[in-house]
Formats: sequence, structure tokens, C-alpha cells
Amino acid sequence: MSFSVRDVSWSAGGKLILDAVGLDVPEGATLGLIGPNGSGKSSLLKLLCRLRQPQGGVVTLGGDDLASLTRLAIAQRVAVVEQQAATLEELTVREVVALGRTPHRGRFSPWTAADEAILRRALDQVDLGGRGDQSWHTLSGGERQRVQIARALAQEPRELLLDEPTNHLDIQHQIEILALVERLPLTSIVALHDLNLAAAFCDLVLVLKAGRVVAAGPPAAVLTQGLLWEVFGVRAQIGRSTRAGRPHIQFLYDDPVRRP
Amino acid sequence: MTRRLGGWGPRALFALAGLAVLLAAIALAVSIGEIAIPPATTFKTLANRLFGAGYEVGRVQAGVVWEYRMSRALVAACCGGALALSGVVLQALLRNPLAEPYVLGISAGASTGAVGVMIVGFGAGALSLSGGAFLGALAAFALVLLLARGARGGSDRTILAGVAGSQLFNALTAYIVTSSADAEQARGVMFWLLGNLGGVRWPDVYLAAAVAAAGFAICISQARALDAFSFGEEAAAALGVPVARLRLVLFAATALMTAAMVSIVGSIGFVGLVIPHAARMLVGSGHGLLLPASALAGAIFMVLADILSRIVVPGQILPIGVVTALFGAPAFALLLYRARRPE
Amino acid sequence: MRLASFLAAATLALGASGALAAGKTQYPLTLENCGRQITFDKAPEKAVSIGQNSSEILLSLGLADRLAATAVWVGPVLENLKAANAGVPRISNNQPSFEAVVKTDPDLVAAQFVFDVGPNGVVGKREQFEELGIATYISPGDCIAKDNSMRDGARTKLFSMDLIYQEIAELAQIFDVQERGEAFIAELKQREAKAVASVAGGKAKDVSLLYWFSSSQLNGDAWVAGKFGAPGYITQVLGARNAVESGEEWPAVSWESIVGRNPTVIVVGTMDRRKFPADDPKVKIDFMEKDPVVSQIDAVKKKRFIELSAQAMNPTIRTIDGIETVAAGLKRLQLVD
Repeated sequence: MSFSVRDVSWSAGGKLILDAVGLDVPEGATLGLIGPNGSGKSSLLKLLCRLRQPQGGVVTLGGDDLASLTRLAIAQRVAVVEQQAATLEELTVREVVALGRTPHRGRFSPWTAADEAILRRALDQVDLGGRGDQSWHTLSGGERQRVQIARALAQEPRELLLDEPTNHLDIQHQIEILALVERLPLTSIVALHDLNLAAAFCDLVLVLKAGRVVAAGPPAAVLTQGLLWEVFGVRAQIGRSTRAGRPHIQFLYDDPVRRP
Repeated sequence: MTRRLGGWGPRALFALAGLAVLLAAIALAVSIGEIAIPPATTFKTLANRLFGAGYEVGRVQAGVVWEYRMSRALVAACCGGALALSGVVLQALLRNPLAEPYVLGISAGASTGAVGVMIVGFGAGALSLSGGAFLGALAAFALVLLLARGARGGSDRTILAGVAGSQLFNALTAYIVTSSADAEQARGVMFWLLGNLGGVRWPDVYLAAAVAAAGFAICISQARALDAFSFGEEAAAALGVPVARLRLVLFAATALMTAAMVSIVGSIGFVGLVIPHAARMLVGSGHGLLLPASALAGAIFMVLADILSRIVVPGQILPIGVVTALFGAPAFALLLYRARRPE
Repeated sequence: MRLASFLAAATLALGASGALAAGKTQYPLTLENCGRQITFDKAPEKAVSIGQNSSEILLSLGLADRLAATAVWVGPVLENLKAANAGVPRISNNQPSFEAVVKTDPDLVAAQFVFDVGPNGVVGKREQFEELGIATYISPGDCIAKDNSMRDGARTKLFSMDLIYQEIAELAQIFDVQERGEAFIAELKQREAKAVASVAGGKAKDVSLLYWFSSSQLNGDAWVAGKFGAPGYITQVLGARNAVESGEEWPAVSWESIVGRNPTVIVVGTMDRRKFPADDPKVKIDFMEKDPVVSQIDAVKKKRFIELSAQAMNPTIRTIDGIETVAAGLKRLQLVD
């Protein structure tokens, strides 16, 4: 078992963001976090890498209580890709990806051949091999996203947390990245907005609404007409995806949407 | 656009070159001054003091070279290095290119402490000007930390707290000077506020060197962690950096370094802000190189500024803070111009 | 014979009345003072003096009863004027406010420094006083051949006691006490002449003098006398050289520079105040004897120090004290015959 969340609650600014959330993530699975804006997806991801501390409940990783692990221990195992990464420094693509090696390098240890190999491989995996010397500031939004993913991959994580990684990407890259994530022998938890991508690429989906878990399970089981209306406020028909065993949501664009 | 140095070979060469330039600058600083001392005398004095050679040299001239000029050059180097180092660290921690050593209130507090001792008589004679300045600096820093405490002390809030703290202490300084200082005291204070290496002697060198060395050691040991700050605190935390502890250690280290330097030579501006940027243009953003490069560049810059302050106006010594701004600002403008991004 | 004696008597009478006439001021009196014409219809009855020297001149002229108030004092009043001064209200030791001065309802303000009363006067401008019908008199010593844009100012010509004598004479004329004025001037001139005579012999020209007033930081740059101020006058009158070339009155000079000039004698300023540690003459001498470089110059090795009251280093009537003290010091150190 990778992540295990028991009864976790978290508030910020007096408002309850996550309410008694529970989930179990099997090792190697790709879990999609879906839900409307404000449902707590990002907050849950932050709790999973302990960038926030839960006010109630326990998060365990591989059996260990997350709260008892050092930050370094977590970083050596869990890699996070935020929605937006911004920096004022003049960095090259190489330097950004090299940051991913930080948890595995001591204070003064030099850059090794192994580090170099991992860096190159990470860049190749996101299809940016050979662009190492390009300046970060000249990259497009989508390219920046891929560089961040490469950085996360350079961490050689066992768990990968991605917060809306496909937001700025061309469709070809959206598909490529999710296919990569699915393929990697890592446990991945991906917050996604696009329900069809979640359906196609995630082994499991977790649906959050107003901080509560509404449903959890394989996409085919979870993504029903009823759920789509209740949680997302849209009318749809569930058909079959080109990927075997996965549902494909056909939105009924002309039907009225649900007023909140 | 920027040069990147790979491997240890070129780095070592670069470091050696930097050190050589620094030594040359110090040699120049020791040879130039208000009274004309023949280079032969300077050389002999240095040989006597450094290698125990037994040359005959006039005692007064040898004294000026060693006791005055050498101590002054060394303190300038340590001060420039420490301020530049603090600038780099604060720019990384606060993710703000305009951050500099005085952003956390150090300079403002030191000024208040100094005028407190000089004009109001704080410490009732037991406290020296430097002591007062140091305590003032720490008091301001403590206040700023307190103000920045809420909301996880995010960078923006920290900077705002620093601005608030600095304004408060600057107001206090202004109040003391305008209400209680006579013209003479105001004149004395002014020289201190703009930076003054005139009163430096060898005991100051030992203090400055110790502080600079300790500060450098602490900062360089956190070079990797500082790199991780490029994309923010959360990103750094996600890379395994103990953010809260790091901020505390580095803020404390830079504050103490800066407070110590300011209490020895007054507040010399511009170095901590601009040298890090100039160094970045030369060696890139990786802190493993940037920290030593900035320290070296800061040291060289300060030694040269000291030389200029003694020769620019014949018969008079300009406050070094004026020189660092007057000569540093156009130099930086030039650097910016040459490094502008191609369209 | 009768014509001759009549003429003689007439001449005598005229001469006598002439002498008496020289002693009394004719009003209305118009004077040129620091670039302004000032006019008096009668002798002032209530004066405010701003500046210790102005105050001490007026007190020396026996005008304590016509002094409404004084301000700006840097040290205790001269011993012989203590009793007279006791009866005069003092507004403050520092610069008074314009209103505080005007409140005493004076008809004359006598000021020592253009810095206090002048075009950018800290206390007030001359026009401001004149608008209220208050005449202003500024010490010629501070406005003739002097650039007062900075606090201490810089002189373009050597200060001379003649400027002080001029001030005494003019103030005596304004207040119609010219006899007292002349007597006072004569006394000061006599003292000056005596001191100068005591070092006549020509050897003083080999002597260079450095006057060290104080320093804001003991190790740091020292405030020393430029060559045109009162110390410069003392030096010149005694036939010696000023070690410092600057035209500023009190430039801040580094010890490297001082050491380079190798002054023959160091005149150490003494004062009552302890604003800075270096105010104390003992501290100054101790510093010089312990500093690794300064201790190596001749003047310090041979302890050629002359202690002089800082007030005597100001361009005032006390400059005469300065001349006397430095002359005596040079003789004591056997630098002159």
C-alpha cells in the first residue's frame, strides 16, 4: 500500500477544506483526483507530501506515519509537480531538472555520472532531450510544465503527485504525459480537470465535492450519469472509450446545466 | 548569454583568478594613500611583516602601510565580501531581486543604536559606538522577525515587515538627530551613516575576518538548499529542504554578519544589492559558484571603492558609501545593458 | 600776543571738544555690516546676543544692563565676566527659536555666526528681524572673506584679530560707549603684542603647528584647524606654519595625512564638555602615544604638546588667550629663543 489516508480533515482561514477524507492508494496505481474547483484537490495533494499538516486524521506512506518522516525522507520518495512554477532566476532547462536530484545529493557532493544519466533520461521522457541549454524564460507554458515533470522524474520518486499537469499543454502532450505517467512503475496521484482524460488514463478515480469523498474506484464504476449531475452539474451520456474497459463521457451540451 | 562552468578544473582556475585580483587590489590599496610612499618602501614593509625579511624602513611610513592601510584594506575586503554574500542569500530566500542585507532592518537599527550612543548617551559611556550600533541592529532585526511571524512568514510579508521596521528605526534616528544633535554631532553621525573606514585598526580586522569566515562557511554549506528555493518555499520543501530551519539559520547568519560589519564601518550601501547580480551575470545562478563568486567580487569592489574614496578628492576622504553608489551604479547599468536579452 | 593766545585757547578748546566729540556717538548712526546698511536712531536699550563671543564682548563693554538675553554658549563665561553675566537671562545654550528671541522685545540682535542669523539663518533671517523693527549686527569675523554655506564654513582669507577689534569698536559705537571700546581694544592689542614679542627671534618659522580640536570617533578622522581660522591667525602672528593646508575652518583629516605632515607641535584642545571621548585632552594624548603609527612621529615621541582651551581656537576675543598660551608653550618646549 502506498498512501493511506484515514479520516483526514484540514481547515484554512476558518473554513473547512477537507472533511474526513479517506483513501487507499495501491502501489503502482495511477489515481485521478477529480472534482469541481474548490473541492480540495490541491489541498489533498499538499497534505500527501506534508506541505500542509492535517488537523485531524492520519496520512501514512508505505505504512509509516507521514508526520514522523523527515522532510528529506519524504522528498526522496515523493515528487510533486505544482500547477504553476515561476522563478525570477535565469535558469536553463538543465538547471531546473537538476534540482530534482537535490534530495539525493549531500551538501558538497559533486555532480556524478549517475546524476547526469538520470537527468538526461528525465528530459527524454518528456520529449525535451537536447534542449538542456535553453533558458527557462523562453519556454512556453506547456514546455515549462514538461520540464517540471522532468524535474520530478529526476527525483526518482516512488510516488508522483501532479496538480493539473495538463493545463497548458497541447493535446498531443496531454496525451503523452498522461500515457507516461500511467506507464511509469510509480504510484501517481493526478489532479485533473478533464474527466475523459481521467477516465482514459487513471486506474482509479477519487471524486471530491466540498472537501468530502463522494466516490472512489475504477472510472467505469465511478463516472455515472448521476455522479456527473450531482457533482459536476452537467448532463451526459456514458459511452465506451477507445481504451478497453474505460468509459467515455459524452456531454449533452444542449441540456441545461445545474444551477448551484 | 551567460557562461556556465562545468567541472572542477575551470572553477578552480576561476577562483584562483579571482583571488589573484583581490590580492592585487589589496596591494594597490596598500600602496596608494594620502601621503606618497615609494613602492619600494611598501614592498619592503610587506616583506618584513609577511616574511620576516629584515629591510630597513622608516617607522612612520611602514606604520602607515601596515597599521593603517593594510588593516583598512582587509576590513574593506571582509566587509564587501560579507555584504555581497548576505545579499545573495537574502535574494534567494526572499525571492526578490531587490533584496539586500539591510532589508531586514539591520542598517536602520544600527544607525539608531549609533546615534543613541553618540548623541543621547545610551549605555552611559560603557557602550562604544560600535557596540551601540550592533545592539541597535539586533533590536531592529528582532522586531522585523516578530512582525514577519504571522502567515508563515512568507517572503512578501517578511519584506514588508523589514520595510516597516526600517522606517520605524529611521524615524527614531531622525528624531534623535534633529531634536538632540548639534551641528558637530550631526556631522560626526553623517560620516558614520555613509560608511567610514577611517577608524579601522588591526583588532577590527580580526573581528571582521572571523565574522566573514564564519558567515561564509554557514552560507556555502547551504548552497544546494538555496538552489532549491528557485521556485519558492513550497517547491524547496518538496525537494527535502527544511525550510523553516533554513530560513532561521540563514536569516540569523546574514543578520549577524551584516550587523557586525555595519557596527565596524557604518552602513555602506549598494554592495549587497548589486554585486550578487553582477556575479550572477558572470557565473550563473547556481549557488555553489555564486556564493564564493559574490564574496570575491564584493571584496574586490569594496577594496577598490576604498582606494577611490581616498584619492578622488585630493586632501579629503569621501565616505565610502558615496563612492560605492557613485561608481557602482553606472557600472551596474553597463552590465545590465550588455546583458540585455536579444529580442 | 592776544591773538596768538586766543588762537591757542580756541585750538585747545576745539581740540578738547573734538576729543570729547570722538567719544560720543552721533545719531542717527549708519553702519555697513556684512553687506547691509544698519541705522540706529539712538543707542539700543535691549539687546539679545546670540553667540558666546558676541555676548562676552558686550559684557566686557559693561553693557550687561542693556542685555535682555543671551543664547548659544559653548563653554563657561570668562571669569572676569561671571558676575555681570549672572544677571542676564540665558535663553538656551543651543540655537534659540526666532520667537524666543523676539519675545524679549529687543531692539538689537547681535549675532556671532551667519549660520544663526543670516540668509539661511537657523534662528532667523535678518529681514525677519528687521520687519519687526529689530536691528541686526553680525560679527564681521564671520562674514568677511568667508563662505558660510556649510556649518563651520570655509575662509578665503586668513582670519585676523582686526576683525574682532572692528566688531568691538562698532558695537561700542552703536551703544555709545566708545571709550570703553577703545580701552578694551587697547588692552587686547597690548596682550597680543607682548605675546608676539616673547617669541620674536625668527626660529618659529621652522615650527609647524597642528591644532587638534576633537574627533567624533577616537580612531577616526580628526577635526583639525585649517589655515585660515583663528588657530591659523595665532600661528601666523607667532611666525610659525600651520600643518594643515585646507581653507575649511575645521576639516576632518585622517591620521595618515597628519602623520605625513609631521607637525612639530601638536596643540591639544581642552574643553569642559565630554560629548565625544576625544573631547578629553588626556584621551587625545593617550591615543597619540598608543597608536602604532602616530606614536612614531617626532612630536609625539618628544611629547611636544601644548594644551589650549578649545574656546581660544575660535575667532573671538579669546584668540588672544590662544596667542599667549601657544607662545608660552613654544618657549617651554624650547622651540624658540
